[in-house]
Amino acid sequence: MEHRWGMAIDLDRCTGCEACVVACHAENNLPLSDADQAEKGRAFHWIRVDRYYEGEFPDIRVKYMPVLCQQCDEAPCEPVCPVYATYHNAEGLNVQVYNRCVGTRYCGNNCPYSVRFFNWFEPEWPEPLHLQHNPDVAVRPSGVMEKCTFCIQRIQRAKRDAQAENRRVADGEVQPACVQSCPAEAMTFGDLNDPESKVSRLATSGRATRLLEDLGTKPKVFYLQRGK
Amino acid sequence: MFLTAEFADAQSVARAIAALRAQGFNGDQMDVFSTEPVEISDGLLHRRSHMSLAAVASAAIFCLSALLFVRYAEYNYPLITGGMPIFSWWANGVIFYEFTMFGSITATFVMFLVESGLFRQRAPVPALVAGRILLRVSCGAGRVAAAMDSLQQAGAANVAELKPW
Amino acid sequence: MVETRGDGLRATLWRPLNGFSGRYLLALTAAFLVGAWGLGCWGYQIVRGIGVAGIRRPTMWGFYLVNFVFWIGISHAGTLISAILRLTDAGWRKPVTRAAEAITVFALSIGAMFPIIHLGRPWIFYWLFPYPNSRLLWPNFRSPLLWDVTAISTYLSGSVIYLYLPLIPDLAELAQHSTGWRLRLYTLLALGWTGSDRQWHAVERAMKLMAGTILAVAVSVHTVVAWDFAMAVAPMWHSTIYGPYFVAGAIFSGIAALVVAMSIIRRALHLEEYLLPVHFENLGKLLLLMSLLWVYFTVAENLTTWYGNSPAEMSVFGERVRGRYAPCFWFMVFCNFVLPFVLLSVKRLRSVATVTISGVTVLVGMWVERFMIVLPSLSRPHLAAAAGFYSPTWVEISITASTFAAMVMFYLIFCKLFPIIAVWEYKHVSHG
Repeated sequence: MEHRWGMAIDLDRCTGCEACVVACHAENNLPLSDADQAEKGRAFHWIRVDRYYEGEFPDIRVKYMPVLCQQCDEAPCEPVCPVYATYHNAEGLNVQVYNRCVGTRYCGNNCPYSVRFFNWFEPEWPEPLHLQHNPDVAVRPSGVMEKCTFCIQRIQRAKRDAQAENRRVADGEVQPACVQSCPAEAMTFGDLNDPESKVSRLATSGRATRLLEDLGTKPKVFYLQRGK
Repeated sequence: MFLTAEFADAQSVARAIAALRAQGFNGDQMDVFSTEPVEISDGLLHRRSHMSLAAVASAAIFCLSALLFVRYAEYNYPLITGGMPIFSWWANGVIFYEFTMFGSITATFVMFLVESGLFRQRAPVPALVAGRILLRVSCGAGRVAAAMDSLQQAGAANVAELKPW
Repeated sequence: MVETRGDGLRATLWRPLNGFSGRYLLALTAAFLVGAWGLGCWGYQIVRGIGVAGIRRPTMWGFYLVNFVFWIGISHAGTLISAILRLTDAGWRKPVTRAAEAITVFALSIGAMFPIIHLGRPWIFYWLFPYPNSRLLWPNFRSPLLWDVTAISTYLSGSVIYLYLPLIPDLAELAQHSTGWRLRLYTLLALGWTGSDRQWHAVERAMKLMAGTILAVAVSVHTVVAWDFAMAVAPMWHSTIYGPYFVAGAIFSGIAALVVAMSIIRRALHLEEYLLPVHFENLGKLLLLMSLLWVYFTVAENLTTWYGNSPAEMSVFGERVRGRYAPCFWFMVFCNFVLPFVLLSVKRLRSVATVTISGVTVLVGMWVERFMIVLPSLSRPHLAAAAGFYSPTWVEISITASTFAAMVMFYLIFCKLFPIIAVWEYKHVSHG
């Protein structure tokens, strides 16, 4: 049976440390922005931690919510791309094809989670960070849309290894960079088609909700929280 | 040979055409030249037109072609986007509609070129005079006198033989 | 040179074709320079990257889309005058048709550039067209942007034909009275028109057919442009009213553009005898009607949003009406409704001057309206944490200005090549 990749993020464990953000930058060759560009809203964070504050100081409560591409089964970003640069693959991933993108940015506007990022210029890395690229991941040119891929390069590698050894990919064998780096072990990744996988069990637990569910996008990232 | 006659208004041209018809000339042998469109009453100079039919037919053909092409293209390399079906009538409806309209536009323009006979002219044409209406009659050698008579009776000025360039 | 004699209709309409006055050259040069500057800015944008524009996350569309919708809207000038008024046989439209159709063709050409200008990788814009390629790839016909491509291509081809067909008889007559390069140009374009009744019947039949078709296409074009926004899930974009709203707005801005163009032509080409105050009176009444229709749609859209009280939409609504964009919003209401309503509904105030002023304010107001459609919804997306605000850069402002300059330039060249009033149509009275 096909895999169906999904993720569970435990908001009760998340400390907002943003190790996942840094790990994603390192793994996926994310371009760096300077302060000027960041102020203009051009910074790239395929996974970002949104902070929601309740109450007034000193009785503040903060909720940290890591938001990444939800790999929606009925993604609003997919049908609006005029050149099929984003489509849904058989494993439930929302795939972004960098070579095909002409840069209309309709998908970016249509994503209700605002998880899509655009290369406004040719990406640059200050030395010596230009030597730190991951060879498994493409460097995107100017004018191309990008977003979280659930570290598809890691998924591909695990599938290749498993196929070489004539077995299925084991639960927990694939870990995107964010999941791998979380010190609080708040993130879980796995195959939603496998009812025994950890992510499936968490997704069907009483604590699982999804973001903006009423929009009908059918996201595959489950947020676990006890009550609100 | 060709005769040309100059008239002041549409009524006298109509009279002339009626008289010529009575003598046995048919619509294809007569042409009216003017700097503005002239209404010849009572269908005396009825020109058959297939423009509307061509426009509708062309619209239908273009619509069908668009449908077949889009269907072919969407199944040729099927990609799932947003859970939508691979081929969707509604999502592609606008494309079909626009191609239908495009077919109508194309046919209208082509039929204009065809029915106006713009590229088929071989007969000599009288020089247009602003404010006057010219009638050109194609007649055999034997009927020239009769034709000229009818034209002059209808009130023509400058009835003459039209010389080719 | 076109020979002109005396003072009649032909002489008045053909005299502007000869020679270049100082004012004309000044206007043409200024328009050309601004247009060239804009083109240079676009080149800079292509080389450096689209980041030189002010667009950002989450407002990934900015001035370029505003201009796109605006210019496609202006192109509905011709549709209204030529198609609707032709179908209703309104005789007073006769002197105005060619000016309106010229606006349509040039506005469409300008508007159609923007889907290319706003691309991140414009050098591969042709991937939006279906052509056989070695990658076996086709464009996505389900995308509203493809609907745009199809609709605008159809409308542009239809409008060009609609402008060209009634021009042919005038060209033939001009050819008879011209010398030099004009003779060659007019003879070529006149396609050998002789003025025979077959040709007149053919052109009139074609125009009648085209009027209906162009009207159907024009309604669909701006509906499709509206659906670029309405098909998206962004708050306050996803609204069923957008289709009719945009078509009404397009006709509204089209009439305004026509009024302004006519006013300038009337002065510059001394056509006071042919572009009469009654024409401006009638166009003023139409402008008033469209203004009322516009305010109706605006109230309907905003009232239903406010009453529905959906959080995502209320966030955008608040930004539009009370927040950051409030000055723009109320300025827009003033320009599109308040001022035209006062100037045009009071009979004593309606004159060529006030109708022109209303036209100018409506043009400004409608540009601001397009801005208000695109930006607030993007600034406040569904996830509040991702909010962000857009400000244009000099590149976008330059390109926007250059489109107006390009329009002026195209129109000036058109007026120098062809008579702006259709001579044959002006004299011809249709029967029944």
